[in-house]
Amino acid sequence: MTTTAPTSATPGGVTPRRSLRTESLEARPVNLDGFVEEWPEKGMVAMDSAFDPAPSIRVEDGVVVEMDGTERADFDFIDQFIADHAIDTDAAMDAMALDTVEIARMIVDPGVTRTTVRDVVAGLTPAKLLGVANHLNIVEIMMGMQKMRARRTPANQAHCTSARDNPLQVACEAAEAALRGFSEIETTLGVVRYAPLVAMAQTIGAQVADEVPLTQCALEEATELELGMRGITNYAETISVYGTEPVFVDGDDTPWSKAFLASAYASRGIKMRFTSGTGSEVQMGNAQGKSMLYLEIRCILIAKGAGSQGLQNGSISCIGVPGAVPSGIRAVAAENLIASALDLECASGNDQSFSHSPMRRVARLLPQMLPGTDFVCSGYSAVPNYDNMFAGSNLDTDDFDDFNTIQRDLMVDGGLQHVGEREILAARQRAAEALQAVFEHLDLPRIRDEEIVAAVYANGSNDCLPRDVLEDLKGAQSVMDRGITGLDLVTALDATGFRDMAQNLLTVLRQRVSGDLLQTSAILKGMVPLSAVNDDNDYAGPGTGYRPSGERWEQMKRLRHVTSAENPETEVG
Amino acid sequence: MSLPELDRTDYPLSVNRPDLLTTPTGASFDSLTLDRVVAGDVSAEDLRITPDTLRLQASIADGVGRRQLAANFRRAAELTAIPDERLLAMYNALRPNSSSKAELLALADDLETTYSAHHAAGLVREAADVYERRDILADEDQ
Repeated sequence: MTTTAPTSATPGGVTPRRSLRTESLEARPVNLDGFVEEWPEKGMVAMDSAFDPAPSIRVEDGVVVEMDGTERADFDFIDQFIADHAIDTDAAMDAMALDTVEIARMIVDPGVTRTTVRDVVAGLTPAKLLGVANHLNIVEIMMGMQKMRARRTPANQAHCTSARDNPLQVACEAAEAALRGFSEIETTLGVVRYAPLVAMAQTIGAQVADEVPLTQCALEEATELELGMRGITNYAETISVYGTEPVFVDGDDTPWSKAFLASAYASRGIKMRFTSGTGSEVQMGNAQGKSMLYLEIRCILIAKGAGSQGLQNGSISCIGVPGAVPSGIRAVAAENLIASALDLECASGNDQSFSHSPMRRVARLLPQMLPGTDFVCSGYSAVPNYDNMFAGSNLDTDDFDDFNTIQRDLMVDGGLQHVGEREILAARQRAAEALQAVFEHLDLPRIRDEEIVAAVYANGSNDCLPRDVLEDLKGAQSVMDRGITGLDLVTALDATGFRDMAQNLLTVLRQRVSGDLLQTSAILKGMVPLSAVNDDNDYAGPGTGYRPSGERWEQMKRLRHVTSAENPETEVG
Repeated sequence: MSLPELDRTDYPLSVNRPDLLTTPTGASFDSLTLDRVVAGDVSAEDLRITPDTLRLQASIADGVGRRQLAANFRRAAELTAIPDERLLAMYNALRPNSSSKAELLALADDLETTYSAHHAAGLVREAADVYERRDILADEDQ
């Protein structure tokens, strides 16, 4: 969205004199953002519309026969899927009998356990959940998130992309992202045919350190699944669901096709989450006059009903829409909370760029960063914004030091840490050399030494040497034609002298035999699965739950420039 | 052979219960070592999950109150035997306006008879009914 500065020419063409204060404010970046009045009839309202239905439920013989004022015979396919798969009909009558304000208080009250809240929320209809959310102010939403997120330990996710789809750059960025603490990294493409090479490069780069992020490549559903099946990527996220039936059909899916896809991923031992977000239905032109949060709650319940372990939400690629209306960013935080309260892993947005204002960017981040979510960003651009092929991110490489400082200032763990340049350069170098060796081993287009030097020291793709794109695309095609798998990458890494990286990748691939990464909110920590099963959130008020401590807190204290206490003339870190 | 009842303390299985894990070719989880990979003794087929492992993970999910996730794992257990291409084709058949009701019912029958995929077949039959009611079936003559 764009705006033009309002002008108020008076009759006769004389422009009234403006104050210097106004001129100064007009020049502020926030006035480049787009804002619109609410328009409930078109769904341009965040979370409180007169057109949203009133909560109701009727259950007969275990079957929901009426929900939110609609009789079963009139259910659209989303209503029916939610009624038959998401709502716990045993809990529904008691849960629906509670006042929405009482449920809202249970979410905030540290004396009420996460499990108790979860079991009540499981019996609620979309309209009832919306009613609950509308009682919560932004601080209460954060209080709720602190308790309701599934995994005790927060984490973060990054975007590793290149404006030129340069696989060498992506390998280096993946290596740096691993060092900086990201638990998941994802790539996508400008030229889709580049996908196999770039996805391979990302996965190889991710293996350089002791902590290994899981990798994914965001593509059309069927292609994304194919790369996952081959073991070139480790998880999938671009399983989009929508809150109105016409938009869902426009997306060429239904809740049933998505539920089948969820099972297809699990049948290959591959971690998967759904994606949705407020504003998508407005953006796709068919919100049926409902509020953004009401429609998003339907999406969350579809993810739940399909048996997806998690959901990426928080508006994501539609953030400009809720960002333009009153209480929109509160609604985005509320959708994260509802996903968590429904016991789903939540990769909580802070994704696509939405504001020109540095202050607004931080304000949009804090409702996820302060309470902690399963993935604070989904993702944080681990490349400069111009290289971000997901249409930018709310946070990027330029913000690394600020982010680490905010973690230290507030003693809040956003999943990242400062890493010294020497260590980063060494990791980028090793990732680049590994990719060079694997490409040579697999008879893929050559990577020259001078390309490596440029990529290791680069900030972005503009600093890298250009690749021979036609040769690379032929190579990418041959990866598919020859059926190269993740296991082939393990063998190639070992054969070319990168045995530790081969071992790491094998450890990741072995997880698809164990299925451990299929459980809710799973990541690898020290190469061991950590999920909401063995790291379930036990927050119950002050003194409980996750708090940075010990070695992790020491790590978070380090910044680029910290004056030594022993010798104020020097810096530590 | 019935599977053991597991709870959250058995998780992660790769750490706490590798004895329960095998590959589709019958190899043990602990045999998936780098040395054996490099020697060519581990195939891509070995790096796949088995139906039993999915059912073990389902029992863990049930035990921590995640009914739908467990149901997904049980459907997935049924789909492990289906070749990749066929599985993708099944997914595509479930897209809106892609299949007639008869085609969806035939798919459900195939899931049931060829793969004993009763849960997955149920999901497809349910889709056939809903798609008919909501008018998102392909025309019979297409």
